[in-house]
Amino acid sequence: MRLSQIATGNLRRRKGRAAFLMLGFTMGIGTVVALYTLSTAIKEEIGHQLDQFGANIVIVPRANTLALNYGGISVPGVSFDVGQLKAADVERIKSIPYKNRLSVVAPKLIGVTSVEGRECLLVGVRFPEELSMKKWWNLVGRRPTGIDEVILGYEIASQLGVIDLQGPTMPAMGDDHRAHAATAVSKPGLLRSEIVIAGRKFGIAGILNETGGREDQMIFADLERVQEVMDKPDELSLVEVSALCKDCPIDDIVAQIQEQLPTAKVAALQQAVRARTQTVDRLNRFSVAIAVIVLVIGGLLIMSTLMASVIERTREIGVLRAVGFRKRHIVELLLIEVGLLSVVGGLLGWLAGTGASAIAVRHFTNSVTTVRPSLLLAGGCVAMALLLGMVACIFPARRAAALDPLEALRHI
Amino acid sequence: MPFLVVDSISKIYRPDGPASAVAVLRDVTVCIEEGEFVAVMGPSGSGKTTLLSVMGAMNRPTHGRLTVDGIEVYRLSDERLADFRREYVGFVFQQHHLLPFLTALENVSLPLAVERIGASEARARAKEALRRVQLDDKADRLPDQLSGGEQGRVAIARALVNNPPLLLADEPTGNLDSATGAEVMKLFAELNAQRQSIVMVTHNPENAVSANRIIRLRDGRIE
Repeated sequence: MRLSQIATGNLRRRKGRAAFLMLGFTMGIGTVVALYTLSTAIKEEIGHQLDQFGANIVIVPRANTLALNYGGISVPGVSFDVGQLKAADVERIKSIPYKNRLSVVAPKLIGVTSVEGRECLLVGVRFPEELSMKKWWNLVGRRPTGIDEVILGYEIASQLGVIDLQGPTMPAMGDDHRAHAATAVSKPGLLRSEIVIAGRKFGIAGILNETGGREDQMIFADLERVQEVMDKPDELSLVEVSALCKDCPIDDIVAQIQEQLPTAKVAALQQAVRARTQTVDRLNRFSVAIAVIVLVIGGLLIMSTLMASVIERTREIGVLRAVGFRKRHIVELLLIEVGLLSVVGGLLGWLAGTGASAIAVRHFTNSVTTVRPSLLLAGGCVAMALLLGMVACIFPARRAAALDPLEALRHI
Repeated sequence: MPFLVVDSISKIYRPDGPASAVAVLRDVTVCIEEGEFVAVMGPSGSGKTTLLSVMGAMNRPTHGRLTVDGIEVYRLSDERLADFRREYVGFVFQQHHLLPFLTALENVSLPLAVERIGASEARARAKEALRRVQLDDKADRLPDQLSGGEQGRVAIARALVNNPPLLLADEPTGNLDSATGAEVMKLFAELNAQRQSIVMVTHNPENAVSANRIIRLRDGRIE
């Protein structure tokens, strides 16, 4: 006969109460596991979306600038030792050790050129990368399909008479840049299907709805075509990089790119990184707060059930004390019972939580995130359940141990 | 020196503060020799069960001393009192107080659960105790599968399993029919014949006949 046998015997006898206690552990731990797993999936999804939402690293040619003051007259800054960014640099960027963290690398050539007698900002881009990075662009029309097609900013489109500002507002066509069946000219308010840039005809694939940013005054065309038009073959003005910064090794990524491109200036947009970190941190804090509340409620539930159990077992405890059990033995007995329930409840909670989150994750995230059972998490659940059980058990166990054997035997 | 000495013991209960003091034992002195069988008799409320619980290290007296085998019992700490009960005292309760979810053998083994002995030795000792009360063939039965008399005998086996020098019984036949009660008393007589010290509280004069000596209590005093 061992204390453990008395404990298991008691659990077998009081199956209902044992099941209720185990349910308490299962629900508490299950909720925490589900919250943890679900919030991890949501955090990853949000992080991934934030990472793709615009660039967080910008690479420009390095140049030294001097401000001159000659005879009391200020002269505009003079740049010298201007570095060059080349198309090949894009491949070098993509070869860094952290290359799998690079979501989008979008090279650009920016210049001023004559468009139908008007000086305009022409931006050469690779449309697939650019549209993937600028998810907030609201494109009316379709993605350019050939190298002779352009996207116009809202303001420049109106200045060039491509859209009629007096006409009806352009309808939003969604934010995922999916190709629309109709062409831009068939949309209300669009007057032309072509423009002439530096003497060459370009088709208008789409117009950007007003962003309030610099894009409104830009014409976006294919990078190679712009290099040709500006007679700057192979040249780039800047490269925007969107890095997936889970755990945010953004400084490491910057350093690795800098190492690859010593003549370029590589800068992380700290604001974007900080915003991502803050968003994910907030989600973290929310999950932890909910988990703590659930655990506290679970702990109180378990404690009240144990208290009721101690009262119900007063006479039994009196018998044990009368036959020579020390107070410590009574505490041990209760701890063994709660420990057994904790281990089983913790494992059941892990199973339930993993299962629930596997179902819930499909409803809360858009990506095909899969929840895989983690043995490490299972161990954590058992440890957490044990800790919860032991903490919830302290007060009832002390009360049980403090019972006067004679009074306990008289208990009805 | 006698094996057990109850020296000028008083027990006063104060259920609702000092004003409600009730003296249950008043300056009781009793000496019991080793191997003696003593019956404690008296009307209800005379203090019999309180005296037994004081002797069994379960009820600290308000005044006086209890000495067993030279040990001044109530100078021990609560935990050491538990050890004392396990080593020196076997209790037989009127209600038997068997744990319903344990078999007869497991109930008898209870006091050994916190002893530093091997499982096989504990089992052997519990079986031997059950054999002494002639229930070794019902070792695996749960209490509700035993008759009242058999439950009483399991309770006696539990009290004997540690070979305690002192057996205390509180109306052990109180809930039994006369035939089963006689069976239990026969067992007590046999145990006493083997030099087991026994103190038994009883209302029944027929049971007291088995004892070597009768102590009569009235209003908390020895008559």
